[in-house]
Amino acid sequence: MFNIEKFDIKLSTETIGRNFIYCEDIDSTNSFLLKSKEYNKHGLVFFAEYQSAGRGRRNRTWLSTKEQNLTFSIMLKDGISADNINILILGASVAVAQALENLYQFKVNLKWPNDVLINNKKISGILVESTSKGSKIEKAVIGIAVNVNQAGFTGQFNIQPTSVRKEFRKEVSREKLLSEILNCFEEIFNLSINNKEKVLNDWRMRCNLIGEKIKIEDGDKTIHGIFEDIDENGYLQLKTNNEITSIHFGEISLPQ
Amino acid sequence: MDLNLIKKLIKVVENSEINEFEYEEGELKVKISKNFNGLPVQSYLQNYSQPMMQQAPAVTAESPKPAVGETEKKSNLHEVRSPIVGTFYRAPAPDADPYVQVGDSISQGGVLCIVEAMKLMNEIESDVSGKIVKILVENATPVEYNQPLFLVEKN
Repeated sequence: MFNIEKFDIKLSTETIGRNFIYCEDIDSTNSFLLKSKEYNKHGLVFFAEYQSAGRGRRNRTWLSTKEQNLTFSIMLKDGISADNINILILGASVAVAQALENLYQFKVNLKWPNDVLINNKKISGILVESTSKGSKIEKAVIGIAVNVNQAGFTGQFNIQPTSVRKEFRKEVSREKLLSEILNCFEEIFNLSINNKEKVLNDWRMRCNLIGEKIKIEDGDKTIHGIFEDIDENGYLQLKTNNEITSIHFGEISLPQ
Repeated sequence: MDLNLIKKLIKVVENSEINEFEYEEGELKVKISKNFNGLPVQSYLQNYSQPMMQQAPAVTAESPKPAVGETEKKSNLHEVRSPIVGTFYRAPAPDADPYVQVGDSISQGGVLCIVEAMKLMNEIESDVSGKIVKILVENATPVEYNQPLFLVEKN
């Protein structure tokens, strides 16, 4: 069972996670916050021990064993715009990576835009959802799931999963990890407003596919090329036949 | 005739109080007139698929006045534009029904579509109440920042 006091004592943020909702069981923490009129304070964190309908991109499911992992969503309302939302999409994965490095000295790799990998296995998935009224972004919800103390995984996955426990070879404190992620995330959030380039560089230094031949798939479309870099908006720069294309969609992988 | 001269003439007319200007020299005849009726011929809807008509003085013959009611209709139409660069989806999931169809009524805050970029699912809610008149983008195609997505006839 998640111990809120243990979490709170390690939290050093000003706003992120200062409003904290703990919940045993919910369909999806992102869905809840997106719909909720009541829980809409900037920085609020909604944590669930179990998600019955955890989601990934385009309604893929995210499965997580009860009381062993972290599944939570961060509500962002202030300082969110088309200008920094992309930086936060990448930045959320940087925050998770930093926390894993700080606490367990892992070598973390990031896969564009925001999968967090250890030894080429997925340890964390992030789903950012936002709502706009007309053309103004009103709120963004950063959904983060980290496999922490889950011992094994069964089923079919597009990327093989792993957990902190599997990589670190012992159970760890979920409370400590959550507070560390939020501490790192608050810093990233502030940087997304004041110093985007720093966030982009922190992302770049954890991406081992830059300069490599990659394959991008989106539905039935596939493009091959060289992953040149990410631009100032976080879009992937793909080099094909000496032309650079800006990519803002799709799943990337190394060609087999 | 020198094209630059025509350009210069247009500039002069544009910056002046003159509404119409005609010039004749032998075979050559130039007529420049300012159009004060706002949008010409084209209906409001068609403008999206075509480049904007030049509204400054143009070297044209007569330009017909807009049809009666057209201007009024225009002011009642509201564009919902994309807040981000991304891919436009009309439904929450590939196998789900679209959020809205042409002819549907939508209330303020009702969800119209999703624009996805870099795994960000951005749900776009209508900022007005009204009726969907036109969906300006094909499902699952890329959209630019500020690109018009829907035309909503305001209640």
